[in-house]
Amino acid sequence: MKISVNLLKQLGKIDKSNEEIVTGIKEHIGEVESYQDLSKDYSDIMVAEIKEKKDHPDADKLGVYQLDTGEKKLVQVLAGDKTLVVGDKVAYLKPGAKVPYTIYTEEKPFIIQSREMRGLLSDGMMGSEKELNLGNDHTIVMRLPDDAPVGKPFAEYYELDDFIIDVENKALTNRGDLFGILGLARELTVIFGKPFVTPAWYTDDTKNLREEQSCLGLNIINDAEALCPRYTAIAMDNIVVEESPLWLKSALIKFGYKPINNIVDITNYISQLSGQPLHAFDYDKVISNDPNKSETANITIRMARAGESILGLDSKVHELNDRIMVICDSTNPLAIAGIMGGSETEVDNNTQRIILESANFDKTSIRKTSMMLGLTTDAGTKFKHALDPNQCIPVLKEAVRMIKESTTGTISSDIVDLYPTISEPKEITLSLSNVNTHLGIDLQKDTIVQILKNLEYPIVKQDDDLLTVLAPTWRKDVTIKEDIHEDIGRIYGYNNIDSILPLRNLIPAKDNQIFALKKKIRQIFADSGANETDTHSFTDIPTLEKANLDADKAYKLKNALAPELSLMRTSLIPSLLVKTQMNLQEGYDKFILFEMNIPHIQGYEDENKLPKEDWHLSSVITSIEKRSDSAYYIAKRYLEKILSTLNIQDIEYTLLSEFSEENLSEEIKNSMYMFDRNTSAIVTAGDIVLGIIGEIDNKVKGNFKLPKYTAGLDININALNSIDIKNNKYTEMPKYPESRVDLCVEVNNDIQYKALYDSIYKDINNDDINGKVTCLDIYKESEKADTKRITFSLAIRNFEKTLNDKDIKSITQKVIKRLESNFQAKII
Amino acid sequence: MDNNLEKIQVQLQKDIDLPYDELKTKYISTNGLLTLAMKAIASIPNDQKAAYGKGINQLKNSVTELLDQKKNQSLIYSPNNRIDPTAPFDVNTPKNDRPQVWDIKGTKHPLHKEVEKLVEIFQRMGFDVMESKQMDDDYHMFESLNFPVGHPARDMYDTFWTEDGFVLPAHTSTMQNRALKQSNPPIRVVLPGRVFRHEATDASHGHTFYQMEGIYVDKGISLANMKATIKTFLEAYLETDLEVRIQPSFFPFTEPDCEFVISCPFCNKTGCSTCGHSGWIELMGCGMIHPNVLTQGGIDPEIYSGFAWGFGVDRLTMIKLAINDIRYLRDSNLNFLRQF
Repeated sequence: MKISVNLLKQLGKIDKSNEEIVTGIKEHIGEVESYQDLSKDYSDIMVAEIKEKKDHPDADKLGVYQLDTGEKKLVQVLAGDKTLVVGDKVAYLKPGAKVPYTIYTEEKPFIIQSREMRGLLSDGMMGSEKELNLGNDHTIVMRLPDDAPVGKPFAEYYELDDFIIDVENKALTNRGDLFGILGLARELTVIFGKPFVTPAWYTDDTKNLREEQSCLGLNIINDAEALCPRYTAIAMDNIVVEESPLWLKSALIKFGYKPINNIVDITNYISQLSGQPLHAFDYDKVISNDPNKSETANITIRMARAGESILGLDSKVHELNDRIMVICDSTNPLAIAGIMGGSETEVDNNTQRIILESANFDKTSIRKTSMMLGLTTDAGTKFKHALDPNQCIPVLKEAVRMIKESTTGTISSDIVDLYPTISEPKEITLSLSNVNTHLGIDLQKDTIVQILKNLEYPIVKQDDDLLTVLAPTWRKDVTIKEDIHEDIGRIYGYNNIDSILPLRNLIPAKDNQIFALKKKIRQIFADSGANETDTHSFTDIPTLEKANLDADKAYKLKNALAPELSLMRTSLIPSLLVKTQMNLQEGYDKFILFEMNIPHIQGYEDENKLPKEDWHLSSVITSIEKRSDSAYYIAKRYLEKILSTLNIQDIEYTLLSEFSEENLSEEIKNSMYMFDRNTSAIVTAGDIVLGIIGEIDNKVKGNFKLPKYTAGLDININALNSIDIKNNKYTEMPKYPESRVDLCVEVNNDIQYKALYDSIYKDINNDDINGKVTCLDIYKESEKADTKRITFSLAIRNFEKTLNDKDIKSITQKVIKRLESNFQAKII
Repeated sequence: MDNNLEKIQVQLQKDIDLPYDELKTKYISTNGLLTLAMKAIASIPNDQKAAYGKGINQLKNSVTELLDQKKNQSLIYSPNNRIDPTAPFDVNTPKNDRPQVWDIKGTKHPLHKEVEKLVEIFQRMGFDVMESKQMDDDYHMFESLNFPVGHPARDMYDTFWTEDGFVLPAHTSTMQNRALKQSNPPIRVVLPGRVFRHEATDASHGHTFYQMEGIYVDKGISLANMKATIKTFLEAYLETDLEVRIQPSFFPFTEPDCEFVISCPFCNKTGCSTCGHSGWIELMGCGMIHPNVLTQGGIDPEIYSGFAWGFGVDRLTMIKLAINDIRYLRDSNLNFLRQF
């Protein structure tokens, strides 16, 4: 929303500097996107007249002009435009002037210098529309009107000695009234402590315009009352379409509009002034295009029908549907309601009679249409922020007044006004003490009342604490008392509000166990040489398939940014595989990446029918060194590092190929194919499945070009958190020295280490003795051997005495016996 | 084709099953067949040089192709036996080669390190922590936050939707309703989480980033309390005294709606690249919770009031650590990660 400070000052009688106004807007209204001091942009640019014209002796394409710039001496300027003639008025950029266009498009503005062109000096430049930032034409030098006074600063002549502030639309989202300069002038006047008086024309709702001449038939039917609360129009005759006067063109340029002709320019000007969009139809075109020939212009507001289309003012055909509101003749759409007129009824240089429309449309409908058609227009932007239907008539009348002033136009119909339900101001009661508590301030009643009066809230009733006001109908955003609290706070100034810490009771904050657990894991992994990553949740079919994952289990995005970001990942591992590959290429040869995040599996929902969101710890461990052992064991080592630090015991590891699938969760079923079945394990704690660790599947490793020694780890943190961690009580520490025995056991390959370990452990831990078991070696004669040998070291102590050889022998015998009978073990 | 070259070509066909290392030695080592054939070009008569060169190239291509193929195969490892998953290490692993925690530089991700710090400060101030969801429904993302269907403010959030109609939260405010319903006032909660915006990525914009929402609801909570709470937190985090300003803004779920601005902690308001030479940094949106949002959360706005705020953790981290491109945060490059 671009505003001119000159106009603002004129409307609001604001006597403040440009800087103060910018600060005022920022601190009391909303974000300022940018501002520009036009007078500075146009300094050293003057109105000049061409006095002599010659050809360049050495350059066919250059004209040599002598300019009267108001100084005593004529100035010689060379230009590529040879169409200029003596007497033409131009904008002359002196040496040292900045080319206005380049101030906002280039890093450094282009500065004019005197320079020689093929032997002749050019002492400055004559600007084109584009160079002067006043239009798009850069092919010829811009001609100024004949009466332009020579020597006058161009900015002054063009009324460009102004300051333009661009207020961010987003900050005004709920303030339809601030999409007109009038609204902003009201706010600013009040901010600077003065009451605002809305110009009388803006509130004059009487339909007091009478036909002056040549009665034109105008028949309007509203078949879309729900979405078009008010439609007003008037017909005018004897219009002379011509170029707008300079001040109007200049004003429009400052608002960011392109001047077209006096009629269009007046509608745009008033629209920017009041915030109320207007549209002018060519009356004769409306009649002649109507398939049902009639003397009267027949206009209907209705929803479009499927299959209908319209050629817009943007010269594009827009396909319509039954959710789009249109303005029609008896049969065909003439305009897309509230967004854009149609080119068939466009006002052009031959137009003599017009229909002027000032209507109110539903913000939601306009917003949807604008989105559906991908069409953003100034009118649409204004309507979608909710406008006051009560401004339709005053604004229409103001436009008529201006048109009459600018051309010979006459009123040729009554005002048509379809307004079945009148918008009444809303009565709101606020408590003054409540205002002060809510904002944390201590304002006197008078101050509050004054602020509201300045903002033109009529006061209906007041007592000691309660104040009843009417919210002006242009303030569509004010519906509850808190909205008025905001107005009071805003105008009083948020920066005048002190900082006061709330007083709180001593109830301790709740613990978030998952967050705390993640913090611990992060610390343990980072302390163990692993690097934490934070990869995207988005992935695609090829990446999932490369990781042996079923892409059908992924949620699909309806509006993905790119095909490679079209799915929600079902596991964090593929992201880590990609990043592992990347870092290998980067030259790292041994590293561990990990991430804690949430994967999503389609159809896997929580109790609220939302995608189940469990936190996962996922990690990929890789090394290019040649190793003979399986990478499974490094993954296990890292998992046990976490588990032992967290004091979690009794974890079981079951080979993936031996785990029955029916006992697996959706998550593991989804991710298990990324792992090699014979070198990976499902990790469980009692009934709780924690996750999966092991070697990455060979094919997957090949797909991601990963070395042989690559393992993965995928642990559900929510499951981990659900394990009851035993608070071990103190047990008496043994006082007597320990005795060590090594035991080498040969067993069949299918006997697991843990079974042997548990058996031994049980036999050396009871009321009398306490023992530890460690593994010294696991040996297999050849790959094909049926048996393996495991060497255990037992460290045993008695609570009461020093163990002698006999005691040790008896304990060892017991251990061996059980191993022999339970596992057919041979003691070597 | 030259005789010699043809012979090598035939030999290559026979050697197709040789392992990678042997093939490499046989053909492309200093005395390899291909290497020698290439050297031989010097002794070829000039009129045959071109043809010979062409032959050499063909042969070279065949050898390279075969080697590449072998190299990829050698990456693929097939264990013959099932391992014993309960063992502490694999069979026949030498004593000094058993799996141990690696002695290399481990790191926490800079962003999560900051999230931890931020959360710790709020926990010290008495706030609970509740992490945000990454997939949610329209009710939590919009409706419960006073964005009725068709509200223009919905356009402010370029939101991702899944085909099943779930929404990827564009702000951590998606958790406000849950936080309000979770307990009775006083409610003090911070809500960190990953959020998504449907927008093109560049050095300062990502489609994915972290936000941290906070809410405080109790009797008599005011805008002045909000100003002080956020200021106190920021001063603790940035470890410096700050000047703060509040500017009006618009959010459907707050009333009044504000933008929290701080004096630039890096240049003391003299202007630097971090603050865009303005001396001030706009840090977050905040405001008094809209009564409709309180009501949706089961809290009577006539008895209680509260404030809420939300800021981008990525931006704060980038400011604090002088990171100039948001993409580095998600790129997972070890050159980056190991700096922190």
